[in-house]
Amino acid sequence: MTARPIAAVAVLVGGVALACSTAPSDARFVATPPDETSFAPVALMLIQACGTLDCHGTVGRNLRLYGNTGLRLRPGDVPTALTATTNDEIEQDYMSVVGLEPEAMSAVVASGGADPERLTLVRKARGTEAHKGGAPFLSPDDKEGVRDECLTSWLSGKTDPSPCTRALMQP
Amino acid sequence: MRHARVAWLIAAAAFGSACDPVHDDAVSALGGETPGVPQGPLHRAGQPCAECHDGAFGDPPAFSLAGTLYLDATGLTPVSGAIVILQDANGVTSPPMTTNEVGNFFWTPDQFTPTYPVQVNSVTVGVVAVAMHSHIGGNGSCAGCHVDPPGPDSPGHVYFNAPPGMTP
Repeated sequence: MTARPIAAVAVLVGGVALACSTAPSDARFVATPPDETSFAPVALMLIQACGTLDCHGTVGRNLRLYGNTGLRLRPGDVPTALTATTNDEIEQDYMSVVGLEPEAMSAVVASGGADPERLTLVRKARGTEAHKGGAPFLSPDDKEGVRDECLTSWLSGKTDPSPCTRALMQP
Repeated sequence: MRHARVAWLIAAAAFGSACDPVHDDAVSALGGETPGVPQGPLHRAGQPCAECHDGAFGDPPAFSLAGTLYLDATGLTPVSGAIVILQDANGVTSPPMTTNEVGNFFWTPDQFTPTYPVQVNSVTVGVVAVAMHSHIGGNGSCAGCHVDPPGPDSPGHVYFNAPPGMTP
């Protein structure tokens, strides 16, 4: 056997071995998402800014947002500002947000909210990554950047409800 | 020979861009015209206008935003003569648009090409004005979201929420 076929066989065997190998079970990633108990004001901001029925208030979106003026969770509910967003909807919104990029979000949380643009959610909201819905965090109506402040304060582990509340006053 | 190839490529690209099965299905689902109602400003009230009026090659004229206004949530009595004003994400205000006999209203791109999201600043009938609570995220058809019957993913058709006793 010449050296060429031997090398080919070695590459093949090596490739198969590599393809069939699995990571050891003890190396699985364990997410450390942001706090759920302080998410409600953030959810209300996201519902208003991103959760309309023609945007993220749609079941086909990875970031699926339920809320009073968009997609409703309970079959008997309809979108209307005359009713409030339910706790179940906020819980679903939380699962949707933290499930987008669990590794990156855990890393942001672990670093106290540093460099939040590691998250696609933040990049799209700020318009630094292509986003069909534009840059809702750069809205001319949001001159103070309260939407951004609301989300990033939550990611830092120190949710400040004040900018979230102010964000709801915007159109 | 080379020109022929280029022509074929252009034709193939044009054919490909015109064939969107999702869009085709959505248009087919709208059904045919209502007998006795000719194509024009009074046709297909309540349907998602921009589905066809999207400006694509061979389609009817483009609408940037369009819809149909009804009097209340439960009936399909159209409101004519209502004045609708929008405002886009950059603060640009649309020219006022008046609803016609069947409640239809629409802006063509030369009249208003908004940057989304868009606010429905006011819908005015007489001296009564209302506004939409949430914004329009990107769909130029009101009926893209406002579909009957109301349910978890739709508030139902667009209606004026008229005060008791008010008639269009």
